[in-house]
Amino acid sequence: MLKHLFKLIWNKRKQNFLFLSEILVSFLVIFAVFSFLTFYYQNYTKPLGFDYERVWTINYDNGRLTKNNDSLQTFYSNLRNSLKAMPQIEEVTYASANFPYSNSTMSTAVKKNGKRFDRVNFYTADENYDKVWNVKLLSGRWFKPEDAVGKNKSIVINETLKTAMFGNGSAIGQLIGDYEDKAKMKVIGVVQDVKTSGDYWPAGNAVFNRLDTGYLKDIRNVLIKVSTDADATFESNLYKFMTNNFKNSTIEIGHLSEMRDSKNEVTVIPMIIFMIIAAFLVINVALGLFGVLWYNINQRKGEIGLRRAIGASGNNVSSQLILEALVLATLSLVVGCFFAVQFPLLSVFDVPSSVYVIAMLLAVAFIYLLVFACALYPGKQASGIHPAIALHEE
Amino acid sequence: MLKNYFKIAIAVLKRRRFFTFISLFGISFTLTILMVGTAFLDKVISPDYPDYKRARSLYVTTMELKNSKEGWLNRSDVSFYFLDHYVSTLKNVEMMAISSNARTSNAYVNNQKIVIEYKYTNADYWKVLEYAFSEGKPYTQQQIDNAEQVAVISEQTKKEYFGDAPTVVGKYISADNINYRVIGVVGNVAKTLLSFAGDLYLPYTIAKDDYNKPGLMGGFNAVLLAKSKADVPKLKKEFDQMMKKVPLPDKEFDEVYCHADYFFTSMTRRIAGDGKNTGMSVVVGLLSIFVFLFLLLPTINLVNINITRILERSSEIGVRKAFGASSKTLVYQFIVENLILTFLGGVIGLCLSVLVIYWYNDIEPIENVYLKLNFTVLFYSFIACLFFGLLSGVYPAWRMSKLNVVKALKAQ
Repeated sequence: MLKHLFKLIWNKRKQNFLFLSEILVSFLVIFAVFSFLTFYYQNYTKPLGFDYERVWTINYDNGRLTKNNDSLQTFYSNLRNSLKAMPQIEEVTYASANFPYSNSTMSTAVKKNGKRFDRVNFYTADENYDKVWNVKLLSGRWFKPEDAVGKNKSIVINETLKTAMFGNGSAIGQLIGDYEDKAKMKVIGVVQDVKTSGDYWPAGNAVFNRLDTGYLKDIRNVLIKVSTDADATFESNLYKFMTNNFKNSTIEIGHLSEMRDSKNEVTVIPMIIFMIIAAFLVINVALGLFGVLWYNINQRKGEIGLRRAIGASGNNVSSQLILEALVLATLSLVVGCFFAVQFPLLSVFDVPSSVYVIAMLLAVAFIYLLVFACALYPGKQASGIHPAIALHEE
Repeated sequence: MLKNYFKIAIAVLKRRRFFTFISLFGISFTLTILMVGTAFLDKVISPDYPDYKRARSLYVTTMELKNSKEGWLNRSDVSFYFLDHYVSTLKNVEMMAISSNARTSNAYVNNQKIVIEYKYTNADYWKVLEYAFSEGKPYTQQQIDNAEQVAVISEQTKKEYFGDAPTVVGKYISADNINYRVIGVVGNVAKTLLSFAGDLYLPYTIAKDDYNKPGLMGGFNAVLLAKSKADVPKLKKEFDQMMKKVPLPDKEFDEVYCHADYFFTSMTRRIAGDGKNTGMSVVVGLLSIFVFLFLLLPTINLVNINITRILERSSEIGVRKAFGASSKTLVYQFIVENLILTFLGGVIGLCLSVLVIYWYNDIEPIENVYLKLNFTVLFYSFIACLFFGLLSGVYPAWRMSKLNVVKALKAQ
């Protein structure tokens, strides 16, 4: 049966060439769409790793603050105390500018036994960071004031980096080298991955570094966790309080839930546009395939009539036509998969290969379904051809 | 002759309604997406409110310091000091508009939070850029020298802060707990114009941080206006010459790059370029590959359908050939027919794009970016139509002209 179909297709190779290229190009488009969707979906299903609700950020310029470390320390600890004294504020933390959903990133490399781990997100956080964000500790502990003393700097790493470095072993108490492998840092805790760049992006490797007094001059934001009764009136009072504390500075209060929305929009809106365009292309192709198949069957009335006359049933005829279309699609898909498989093989774009494999399977299934749906009606029509009429026309 | 072709084309279109529908659907939707795409590009690239003098302007936006041995890179906006100290000495600069990048702050009115993006500018900023003042006027050099706390606000801020007040000039707006006296109101600027969009414009002398710190990197950018269009290349050259003399600020770095670019180049440099490359070829190349791939699928589809349609008309072609029509005439006829079909699709596509653009402007996904179909867009769409018609017509026509007379007639 299949051999016979191949012969039929080969006889009409010129006519089929366009059909084949059309399926090939649509496969590649669908593959691209599914790759994006699989990637986003895989990341979306992973836990967020922290709570953003009721977290506010207060940004300010630090240019006019004193450069003296001791007075800065007093200033910030006073600020923390007065903020915490407000009934609507539950927790206060100082952190580097790359807190979750901010548009800032800082990355570094770390070394373990000479092996280099690149693109490690580098967060600087103080002792209260985990309480504001409700970061989940998997093992070990978060920073404590006593970490200030000690030979090696204390750090907390995330699950992804821990798995990459230590596999299933324990990371607590291990030493990690910085990007030059000179200074050693001691791991005191492992936290669950924190998806800082939105719901659709992976957390990546991350190192949390303890905020020490030397970093105070670089702080530009306070993060606070507010209680449920913090409203706009409270916000404007807080704003006034901050402008009084930071004379000659610009203050901006942001809500993390809003920042999350805008961060997600950056991913979702282009994806929606891409999907609309792809959907339009698919409808276009589907109509085209349908038209061409329909026409081909009308052209082959004689052949079909003859088959019916020598005893083939209507179902036989329609299944032959559908199978023929599916074999044609297979030919294109083989070529398409050859191109698609290069992505995981050459590991383009630093995306796990499972994404490409799933996207490829989905795209293949989609194309088969599309071709099947387009061939169904013409095939049914063909099965209705009456042999006497068809042969009479000849 | 053309009239006959037209009649035949219409008759053929009417005969196979389903195929006509498929063709028109494909053409019109492809053109709609192309037209909306070009409208968007046109919005971003061509001179737009308030930056109408792009032909005479060069844009200084980025300063890049590099350590070529280690590969370190430091990139930011340029400093006020750099613009004031070096760029303003250039002979070919007629005027220079300086503005800081937009910074965000809040204001609270009636327990409502307003997010305000504010910019510091110089006095020439208002002369180089043609903001439309609905009331009041910009601040003068003297007001800047006196460091007066005055502000020009956008229509949007006026509405959010003052509500429906008819005039607001002379009133005070409080941002960062400082009261600025409003002296002018300007029309909103599209958010895509990063260097010009803002809600509150202030004299640079009242900036809170020390604006005139020595150094090359800072938070400012500039538009250099040449005396005439012909002077722009001279200005560009002069700027590059000047850059060679700018001393390196730091021993850590051994190369410094800053360019006065044409508007489009300044954009491509920001997207894909660096100090050495403009990024133009990358952006244009990627864009054309995308458009090509996007057009490929509908075109193959159309060719497919067109071939099917002509094979259906083989008897007609056979008869015409038998009566002595040359292949050339037939190819010509078929291409004309196809162009008619494409233009029909184009007209439908135009109507659809008007609808899409209307809908887009209604929901306004990017603040203050309104699209419109103008003549440039129409012209490009026309080219796209023509290209599409020819591309999908030529191959089927060539196939048709090869049709053997005897076979074509026998098929009936």
